[in-house]
Amino acid sequence: MAAVGKRERRWLWIAAIPMALLALSCIYPIVFAINNALKTSKGYILDRFGMVTDPTVQNFADAWGRARFSEYFVNSVLVTAGAVGLLLLLSSLVGFALAMLRFPFRRLVFVAILGALMIPIQVVLVPFYRTVEGLGLLNTRVGLVLAYTAFFLPFSIYLMTAFYRGLPRELLEAARMDGARFLEVWWHVMLPLGRPALLTLGILNTLYCWNDVLISLLVLQDRRTLMVGIAALRGEYTTNVPLLAAGIVLAAAPIVLVYLVFQRRIVGGISVGAVKG
Amino acid sequence: MIDLRNVSKRFGGMTVIDRVNLSVEEGEFIVFVGPSGCGKSTLLRMIAGLEDISSGDLWIGGERMTDAEPYDRGVAMVFQSYALYPHMTVAENMGFALRIQGVGAAERRRMVEAAATKLHLDHLLDRKPAALSGGQRQRVAIGRAIVRDPKVFLFDEPLSNLDAELRVQMRIEIARLHQSLSNTMVYVTHDQTEAMTLADRIVVLRAGRIEQVGRPTDLYDDPDNIFVAGFIGSPRMNFLPGVATGPASIRVAGVDVQVPGLGTRLAREQAVQVGLRPEHLTAPEGVELPLAIEVVEQLGAMAYVHGSLAPEAPVVAEWRAGRPSVGERVPLRFHPRDLRLFDPEGRRIR
Repeated sequence: MAAVGKRERRWLWIAAIPMALLALSCIYPIVFAINNALKTSKGYILDRFGMVTDPTVQNFADAWGRARFSEYFVNSVLVTAGAVGLLLLLSSLVGFALAMLRFPFRRLVFVAILGALMIPIQVVLVPFYRTVEGLGLLNTRVGLVLAYTAFFLPFSIYLMTAFYRGLPRELLEAARMDGARFLEVWWHVMLPLGRPALLTLGILNTLYCWNDVLISLLVLQDRRTLMVGIAALRGEYTTNVPLLAAGIVLAAAPIVLVYLVFQRRIVGGISVGAVKG
Repeated sequence: MIDLRNVSKRFGGMTVIDRVNLSVEEGEFIVFVGPSGCGKSTLLRMIAGLEDISSGDLWIGGERMTDAEPYDRGVAMVFQSYALYPHMTVAENMGFALRIQGVGAAERRRMVEAAATKLHLDHLLDRKPAALSGGQRQRVAIGRAIVRDPKVFLFDEPLSNLDAELRVQMRIEIARLHQSLSNTMVYVTHDQTEAMTLADRIVVLRAGRIEQVGRPTDLYDDPDNIFVAGFIGSPRMNFLPGVATGPASIRVAGVDVQVPGLGTRLAREQAVQVGLRPEHLTAPEGVELPLAIEVVEQLGAMAYVHGSLAPEAPVVAEWRAGRPSVGERVPLRFHPRDLRLFDPEGRRIR
């Protein structure tokens, strides 16, 4: 047994080297961004890759004020919160219905939703843009909230349906016997029981909405979200890299914080529905 | 209290409940028994409103409830899996129906505490179901039903998830509960001991049809057919092939027997199935059949001895005298009045 253990340990070390390199390649851009965000433009031009010697927070102040990040930040928060709230509400309701209720064409509806998961956003961009424009939702936060909801709803419904299918059907029946109507069953029983899946879904959808550039760029053309704002900091001929780096750090900070606080749940949520609970 | 009139249930092209007619009296404890897949749980769920009735009518308390929603039927159900809400405390579980009805928090608490006292759950009211034992969970599930003060209690194999000892305890508790509440109770089980000990009347089901309805002792002593005779009683009734030798006489295991009190005249050479309960095979006197013991199941106070009286005619007899041993030849004796005769289709010959 000891010999096997040693051999296994050697293999672990061999596997650890490429993994460490991979981790380094992920961490380096973050270090690069933070390091350069603390440099002046002159400091950056003189030494692009070296560690900052004379740190300054001026770039953060400039990004927040001059580059209108404060305004973009509010847009991102409102749009993300609105879309995530709507997604959780709808996916929980639809997931409950698909998993627990019996109605005609239930399977067909579920298959159609799964089908929607397979369509890449890029394929439907033109009809999507025309629809948003036709509804008068262009350049409105509501338009972007609805767009995020539409695009991320199939996955959310799939996840919630899988979660609710793992719950015993007797809970629904017991609640019905206790006098609860379907909406009351959802509100009093299914919604509280769905909390772990909803939390995971909330985190994942927050990440998607916050980090999105493409949909936001199409819908909110005048009033930007943070990620579009960052993209706009790149000039055609020159780019103020320390300012851009400060913007990136500011935009990424809330989402990194969310990830650090809830990382266990994000990993756990990925396996929701994989096995019957 | 409950009237099932020609009630059927079909899933696609399959009929799982077939034209069932049954009347349950107010305050009666009625038990549905039958083998797996006989439709006993489906029938209960149809009464509860959890399954639609394909055809026929259901009346509860004089009102037609065929299409009524579960909560409008005045029934409460205890599930096999308890079905307690895991995110609620015991008190919240028991008071959920009242909360939905809009009963105020103080009144709700009072009613929950009253039910909890009956079931010895007072000290557990603030616990979540995960922190309870199986027996405690089952009591909470019963408490949840009691709090609603329903016209009818429905139990769907409520004890099948409990261990043997706890099952006996809970069985007694349910019997006491019925005595104290006097509500109508409909109980589904595949355990005939539960059926025999709890029921005022037993309904034996097979393949979606009622085979017989009656008091437990009536079903045991006077079964209508070979299915009921075999299903009620543990160990089951022995069945031996026989042939009529006269209007009221048969030959079984090579012995001629006069059958007393037979209303039907048997046709000579008519094939019959002869039913004999294990405890009737050790009568002090009567018709004697020699048995070579093949297996002994020793239970202490008595034993079950297994052997064969004829090819493909295994028998089991309840043995209370001494300690029988394998290979021993013993005389089985039965009184002809304890015979039950069935025709080749399994119908009782009376």
